[in-house]
Amino acid sequence: MKNTKMTLSTETMNLDFVRKVEALSGSSVRRCFQCGKCTAGCPMRSFMEHPPNRIMRLLQLGQWERILAGRSIWYCASCETCSTRCPNKVDLAAIMDALRKLSWDANGPSKESYVQLANRLFIENIKTYGRQYEMRLGAVFNVKSGQFLKDLLLGPKLLSRGKLKMFHSKNKNITEIENIFNRIEEMRKNSSKF
Amino acid sequence: MKNILTYSYYPGCSLHASGKEYDISTRGLFKALKIGLKEVPDWFCCGATPAHNVDELLSLSLCAKNLSLAAEVKGDLAVACAACFSRLKTTQHRLADNPEKRKQVEHAIAGSVPEKKVKHLLEILAKDYGLEQLREAVTKPLSGLKVACYYGCLLTRPPEVPELDCTEAPTIMERVIGATGAETVAWSHRLECCGANFTLSRPGVVLKLSGDILASAKAAGADCLMVACPLCHGNLDIRQAEIEEATGIRYNMPVFYMTQLLALAAGVPAAKLGFDSMIVSPLPLLKEKNLL
Repeated sequence: MKNTKMTLSTETMNLDFVRKVEALSGSSVRRCFQCGKCTAGCPMRSFMEHPPNRIMRLLQLGQWERILAGRSIWYCASCETCSTRCPNKVDLAAIMDALRKLSWDANGPSKESYVQLANRLFIENIKTYGRQYEMRLGAVFNVKSGQFLKDLLLGPKLLSRGKLKMFHSKNKNITEIENIFNRIEEMRKNSSKF
Repeated sequence: MKNILTYSYYPGCSLHASGKEYDISTRGLFKALKIGLKEVPDWFCCGATPAHNVDELLSLSLCAKNLSLAAEVKGDLAVACAACFSRLKTTQHRLADNPEKRKQVEHAIAGSVPEKKVKHLLEILAKDYGLEQLREAVTKPLSGLKVACYYGCLLTRPPEVPELDCTEAPTIMERVIGATGAETVAWSHRLECCGANFTLSRPGVVLKLSGDILASAKAAGADCLMVACPLCHGNLDIRQAEIEEATGIRYNMPVFYMTQLLALAAGVPAAKLGFDSMIVSPLPLLKEKNLL
């Protein structure tokens, strides 16, 4: 964050958001003392504009809008290395989940769309089929992301080895999954807690 | 001979498609070892990373639903995929000391979340079946084969969830494959992330991370990699040709599922282990080592 002017005031420090993150993640934001161990072990740090320890600092300073506007939270691989190694028991992997959820629910301003698209299609597949349908996942992703030629050579290799199924039947108990999705939606309508 | 072991089995989505050789070899191995394995009928996707990434309640509910389906089948729940294993165990861990969360999940699945012991295949082989017995079951020792055991993320992290082995310096894979007489190499990247589900959204990430893993295994003198997760396998095997193209380094490094190597050592015919499904063919290596 070299050469970036940072304005701190009670107006910029929206701590309500930080409290939401703490409630969702079950982890304290304040406990982080910036040792940097999370970033040292993070396999994705080179892909992030804000590495993990800086995400924690920005949160502590209430600068969450800068986090959500960037790509970093969507480039976290959920490898759990940070949570494993934190010397002060900050569950950073859970905090990343909470940040993504808040950004996702708010249809957040992040520029990272491919990871969110992949997540959305993955979850849609569960709702429609009960299980993953890898062929559809790849094909729809390519169409919706406009990358029609992506992995074009991989498809035939996988198909010829029986690793991709052209057709996929739904679980016969699929209504049970639909019901779970519906009940969660209902719960959210009635409470802002989830 | 100990009591006959029997497990309920949650293969997970990948094992019915891109990771089918993991499923085939798991069934083959368990049959050879006379361990009972019964697939949970009509199981659902565990939600994997995309679900917990954006919706914890959905993620917990999907896993809780699967646990309740699994409760109908006798025996501890055997899980092959490291990601499914992690999600199921995480769900149990999160619900154990959080009655409020448990209530929400039970409302979402309209039922209770049963107690069910969830075990990764590694735990079943190393602890329940036991290394001693595993050694006795070997009819074709894999001596001369240098294996780099790759754990990836979710078999050991975070420490309070999988409870499989030491978090930062596990040896369970080395011990299990060591029982076949194979040689294991010491190498740097066995716990590093392979890029996991970025394979769909951002394959460039996978090429970098999995490329580093292959380079490290090669530098340690390994003949092959051994994995216990279909996502790791997909990245290291299916994307290996792209990694070679991007880095200009030729690896030609077969990536085995641990059950393929164990089943081979336990006398299951090679034709029944799905070797022909792998993108990097292991047949030249196995021929060279007189293991076919």
